[in-house]
Amino acid sequence: MPLFGTLELPTATAHLPTLRNLDTEPWSLPKAEILQLALEVSRSTLALLPKALHPAIPSYVTIWVTRYPESPVGPFLLAQLRLMARAGAHPRGFVLRAYASTPEAASALTQRWGLPAAAATVTLKRRHDRVMAQVLQAGVPVLDAALVDPQPISGGDVQYIHSVTLAQAPIDGKTAPWLVQVDPRYTFHKAERGRPEVSRLDGEAWGAPGLTLQNPIACTACTCDTDLPRIRFVMDPDVPVVRGTRKIRDSREAE
Amino acid sequence: MKFGLFYEISVPRPWTRETERTVYNNALEQVKLADELGFDQVWAVEHHFLEEYSHCPAPELFLTACAMVTKKIRVGHGIVVCVPEFNHPIKIAERTATLDILSGGRLEVGTGRSATWTELGGFRSDPDITKKSWDEFVRCLPKMWTQETYSYQGEFWSMPERCIIPKVYQKPHPPMWVAVTSPGTELDAADRGLGSLGLTFGQFAEQEKRIAEYRRRIQLCDPVGDFVNDQVSTVNFLYCNEDDEKARATGRRMADTFNYLASQLISAREAYPSRSYPSLGLLPQLRRQATGPDANEQAGEGLGLGGPERVIRAMKKWEAVGVDRVNFLLNTLEIIPQEDVLASLRLFAKEVMPAFRDSKGGN
Repeated sequence: MPLFGTLELPTATAHLPTLRNLDTEPWSLPKAEILQLALEVSRSTLALLPKALHPAIPSYVTIWVTRYPESPVGPFLLAQLRLMARAGAHPRGFVLRAYASTPEAASALTQRWGLPAAAATVTLKRRHDRVMAQVLQAGVPVLDAALVDPQPISGGDVQYIHSVTLAQAPIDGKTAPWLVQVDPRYTFHKAERGRPEVSRLDGEAWGAPGLTLQNPIACTACTCDTDLPRIRFVMDPDVPVVRGTRKIRDSREAE
Repeated sequence: MKFGLFYEISVPRPWTRETERTVYNNALEQVKLADELGFDQVWAVEHHFLEEYSHCPAPELFLTACAMVTKKIRVGHGIVVCVPEFNHPIKIAERTATLDILSGGRLEVGTGRSATWTELGGFRSDPDITKKSWDEFVRCLPKMWTQETYSYQGEFWSMPERCIIPKVYQKPHPPMWVAVTSPGTELDAADRGLGSLGLTFGQFAEQEKRIAEYRRRIQLCDPVGDFVNDQVSTVNFLYCNEDDEKARATGRRMADTFNYLASQLISAREAYPSRSYPSLGLLPQLRRQATGPDANEQAGEGLGLGGPERVIRAMKKWEAVGVDRVNFLLNTLEIIPQEDVLASLRLFAKEVMPAFRDSKGGN
């Protein structure tokens, strides 16, 4: 059977976000601008992946930098590094680390969806020949990335993969580590594809010490209406998801 | 109705030097038996880097071995990847002609373009142009096989005038096919007078619609070869046992394992948004069949899993929707013991094949 991640949970739990509960209300996030870069990485990233998940073949990461002009906590930008994987048969992106441009957003995302988010300076700028993203943590750049030479494509050609976060969550009266599925919807208004270019990615700052980016795959910049829905599924991080998945509710909408 | 075998060469971890060899040897033993039992064809895929799912990067070698241990069964490239970084067209023409000679004119040539980033990225191929390069390659191949000398200047490759040798054994040349997974590719096959080598499982209604459109469209084709191959082939799973319940349970385990492995692959579109891959192709369908709402369909009437009567009913339905050939996957990750696989083939030949001997095209 396929390989599994080898992340040793005890070493990770000390830094995990803690969800207040699993009754998170959904957020509507209209007119979001999403820059996504996909790049292959070494198979050694298995050590960053929970044992419940299979690695993608080949291993790859996606860097997401999103501008949310409207949200319940006001406008903010969010940058994420995700290690792409399979939860059973389903493609998923395991969030290694995230940075939000406001403390309010970082706090809410951590407590509601288990995003391992801290506040930082996040920028997303558009030039005629590129879309550029930067993250500064305490004034130090930890990400410089760009989509180079954007060309229009159909939003229908873009497939965004749902995320899973690793967080302490209260279930059955006990707070313990769970993988939390975060599965937004997207309605595309505009999509472009270009060449991914990453001039700086500080692996340590992104929860991936020693990470080396290898083969670039593709990069997209899209404008779409999206959301952060109610939590529907959580998974035991140490057990294959076919055995360790718990359904929290049927509907992703507000009840 | 004709029946054949279809090989991905699925190898379970851990990969010792003996596990790969055992899987290949088992496959060869199955092909030898299938030839004796009257199966019509054996197909082998070309896949690269698809861990556990398919360890078959050089199907022409496996098929040559098949040809050497058999007498009648036809050998099919299912498919050869028509993308420049994978295969140079001259090498395709030379290799296939050699195999056609060695097999005594038993070669069938399936063509395609790969559908995973795992493979396309591995060869640093541009997913945007694979359909175009495939189109160019399939138009060149018949001429390379048949013309005394050949020269070419195209978008993806070129060559000065040379005599490409050897020439194919079959006259005018081997039948050509296209791998069909994404909806619409069957129309590409029809427009070029190529056989439709379906690689999807189940779903009678959808297949019937697509086959009908293929049949309609191929009437007006502009064939790339010297003749029109208007046959429709599809793949299926086979595990036939007198104990219907046991056969279905065992077969279901094989099908689920296959689908689960397939769902681990990165489809081209998942990683690289491109108009060249407008649909997700086979992988999401297999993903649904592995875990989603279609999971029960695997145990349905369309699959060759069960006792002989059940398998006959399934094959009759495929025949009724217009399928000419069904090619079977016999195992995945060797989860079914080899003796049971061989017994399944024998039972199929004894109990199921006779029910199709009087059909059009006869078995």
